[in-house]
Amino acid sequence: MSRLLVVDDEANIRLLYAEELKDEGYEVVTAATSAEAAEKLQGGVFDLAVLDIKLKNESGIELLQKLVKERHDMPVILCSAFSCYKDDFSAWLADGYVVKSGDLTELKQEIARVLAKKAMKVKADV
Amino acid sequence: MDRNSCWNRNVIEQEECPNIGEGEEDLLVSQRVTEKCRDCAVFSADLERLRSDDNPLAPLLSEVLIENSRQKTQIQSLVSFLDNKTLEMRFLHELGSVLQSSVDLDEVLSVALTAITAGKGFGMNRAFLLLNNREEGFLKGYLGLGPRNIDEACRVWDEIIQNDMDLQTLAQNFRLNKLSSEREKFHDVLEQLTVPLSNKDHILIKALDGKVPLLVENAYYHPDVPAELTRLLGVDTFLLMPLISRNRRVGMIIADNFITHRPITDEDMHSLETFAFTVAFAIERASLYDKLQVELNRVTEAGKKLKEQQELIVRMENMALVGRITSSIAHSVRNPLMIIGGFARSMLKNSPESDPKRTFIESIVSETRQLEGVLDEILNYSDSLYPTRDFWDVNQLIETALHDTADTLTSQGYAIGYSPGHDLQAVYIDFKQVSYCLRTILQNDVNGIGDDLTIAISSRNGENGVILQIEDRSRHVSQAELEHLLVPFSETRDLGAGLGLALCKAMLEKQGIPFVVQADVKEGIRYAITLPTRKEEQS
Repeated sequence: MSRLLVVDDEANIRLLYAEELKDEGYEVVTAATSAEAAEKLQGGVFDLAVLDIKLKNESGIELLQKLVKERHDMPVILCSAFSCYKDDFSAWLADGYVVKSGDLTELKQEIARVLAKKAMKVKADV
Repeated sequence: MDRNSCWNRNVIEQEECPNIGEGEEDLLVSQRVTEKCRDCAVFSADLERLRSDDNPLAPLLSEVLIENSRQKTQIQSLVSFLDNKTLEMRFLHELGSVLQSSVDLDEVLSVALTAITAGKGFGMNRAFLLLNNREEGFLKGYLGLGPRNIDEACRVWDEIIQNDMDLQTLAQNFRLNKLSSEREKFHDVLEQLTVPLSNKDHILIKALDGKVPLLVENAYYHPDVPAELTRLLGVDTFLLMPLISRNRRVGMIIADNFITHRPITDEDMHSLETFAFTVAFAIERASLYDKLQVELNRVTEAGKKLKEQQELIVRMENMALVGRITSSIAHSVRNPLMIIGGFARSMLKNSPESDPKRTFIESIVSETRQLEGVLDEILNYSDSLYPTRDFWDVNQLIETALHDTADTLTSQGYAIGYSPGHDLQAVYIDFKQVSYCLRTILQNDVNGIGDDLTIAISSRNGENGVILQIEDRSRHVSQAELEHLLVPFSETRDLGAGLGLALCKAMLEKQGIPFVVQADVKEGIRYAITLPTRKEEQS
């Protein structure tokens, strides 16, 4: 079972993601801030992280840069209320980008795609 | 001699002397002999008698009369000289006033040359003005005034005499009516009078550097005068008058009597020298004023640009404000919207088909989906307000759009083909916006889907940029219907469906990118976008 870290400052969104992604068969751990995310990351291994770009008083992009640097084997999907970030250079570090929507199909597809890609890479490395 | 002769007495009566007229009564009591008696017949007869009598008074009287006559002539000459000087001072004062009050270079030059050449002025036949152009390193012929031949001289001088204009009017007349024609008339001479300042051996430069006037006589045989200069002027006497202002070499006046050949005297030269100081100062001041005007215009222009920049900054700040507001909207509206829609979907997924509340939940899902669509379009529109352009690779642009839309289109059964052109030039665009437009075109929700679900994309270098062509063979609508879709909010459908193509058009036009759409009910829709390859192609 793949383990996902969801970082979003909105409690209801964390709840929605957790419920929906659990239904998809993932183990979901949530965090509201960068600090909490760092704490959760210390506590275990994650297969993928879903990050909100705008966290309260923080930037998800900065957290993304930190994760890419420190956890380069963990793919990251950015999830944002802004479609404009999709073509932004700063977001290009992420493995995927999804515009927030009540319809989580795209997010689920992206998670599946990125995890599959990661699995293929691991297989190739082995 | 009669001792009581009228000229020998101290006091006489009015009736005794026919030579003393009204207003000369003072002569009845003194100075009569030197003033009146000298030409009187009585006095001449008495003097003749004194001579014949060998009276010693006779030669003395004669000598006194001669000396008196000499002194009278001298006094008259001095008075005449003083009168001339007074006139000259008045003339210089008048010219000085005109010159000092003017900051217009052409007016100053007109006054100066008119004063030099007019009969009421210095009365020279002809004058040329050369200006020191330090930037170009030349003493440059600038203006000439005077006749070129005798016929012209007669005509012009007759005209001046008939009109009897004062100097100021003459100068004004010259400036308004003759300045450019006179400049044209002497164009060839002025060209040839232009001498490099570095040519220190040239007589004009020598006179300029020497800062003192030079009366050139016998020019044809003068060792310092170049033959071409003499030939050009056609006179053997001319005056070189350097114009010096506060030790700076402003220019030079060349004056001559080309028609009358009247000799130029030292006095002419000194009078002109006095005038030259005023002229030099006026020219320098007018030139400085011209430069000041240029600088002022520059400052005004810079001020205007600064104002525009300030307005731009304010506008950008407003736009940044718009950005912040939309960002705030995105967060405050989209998050709750996705939570509502997300949980509604979740509930819908877990509710049995028989649940009577299922219809309500479906409504929530549908409405939130539509609101999300509206929100997307508003955010995209606000994003389109300030494009950020740079040079981009067309293939990268198309491949990005294809990658983003591939899943959706493939799931709908579309087949997409891309034929890239050879050696495509980099295009100057806002990548995000054009990329959005391509995605919108590829996924557009135009009604009228046919059987052929094919989208063909091609690119090629064109005259005005790289031409991108998208042929969507699946959409079958008329041109009129399509054009209706290109007008924002004109669609009769609810908001959130129909703004896409209109927004694309607005975004592309804002970047100066031509966007042509052709629809055919049978063939489908053909989009042509000409992406600029140069910065100046932007509007």
